[in-house]
Amino acid sequence: MAWERRERGGLYYTRSTKVNGRVEREYVGSGYLGQLAASLDLERRERRLAEMTALKRERAEMEDLDSRVSELYEGIEDVTAAALLIAGYGKHKRGEWRKKREPKETDQ
Amino acid sequence: MSPKRQTSKGKQKTPEGSLVDDREALRDVIERAQDGDRSVLPALQRALKEEPKISGIFVDLASSLEKSLVRRMANGDLMVEECMPRNLKEMKKELAGDDPLPLERLLVERIAICWLELQYFEILYAQNMGNLSIVQSECHQKRLDKAHKRYLSSIRTLAQIRKMGPAVQINIAEKQINTVGGS
Repeated sequence: MAWERRERGGLYYTRSTKVNGRVEREYVGSGYLGQLAASLDLERRERRLAEMTALKRERAEMEDLDSRVSELYEGIEDVTAAALLIAGYGKHKRGEWRKKREPKETDQ
Repeated sequence: MSPKRQTSKGKQKTPEGSLVDDREALRDVIERAQDGDRSVLPALQRALKEEPKISGIFVDLASSLEKSLVRRMANGDLMVEECMPRNLKEMKKELAGDDPLPLERLLVERIAICWLELQYFEILYAQNMGNLSIVQSECHQKRLDKAHKRYLSSIRTLAQIRKMGPAVQINIAEKQINTVGGS
């Protein structure tokens, strides 16, 4: 978005947008119309920026929350695994927990 | 001390320090035990028996998570902020039963937190469904799937531990009630 000085000396408000990968310039107007369009664009840009900042903050907070839940989940998983291993269980093919067979006393 | 340190014979050394403070070491020891290395079992037993810190760490973490999640879900609604912890307390009481053992209590805490997180993500998704781009929607779905998986897995673990009976109950707080039952 920019004000462009024309050859005759007047200021003209233009709006650049990307369409199908190419930048297209829209000539909006000069004087009061140009000023109105410029202030509307500025407002829209500020609103979008505020939304993006809020979204980023929300995402960061959610990631932090999720990582703390993960920490709790994994930590209790480890404690449970330790309890199972001590009680003589083992993970069958890294899946289900099963009681391990005690090695048989072989006849001598 | 790192559990991966090699002895001169090339064997992995059993960690002597606190496994509770070193989660990487604890995970490594668990993996070694799962691979059949019985030499690490005493270290695991020490970690569970002698560290009353364990339940403290997780209960504190669960309590802080509960507060954060409730505050977010309530979003200023004092009624929700007041009722949600009560409902959770009831839910935990119901899941834990009359006289839960410490490991069961931890598993119940985990279920409650996983449930709360799942609720929070579901509410967020429902609230924003109309305004989400495809990428954002996929991101929400992935987060929901992960939370759902964790929730179901937490319930399954509690059920498994109960099915296994007292053989797997270890008091990780003050008293030791470790009784290895017959197969």
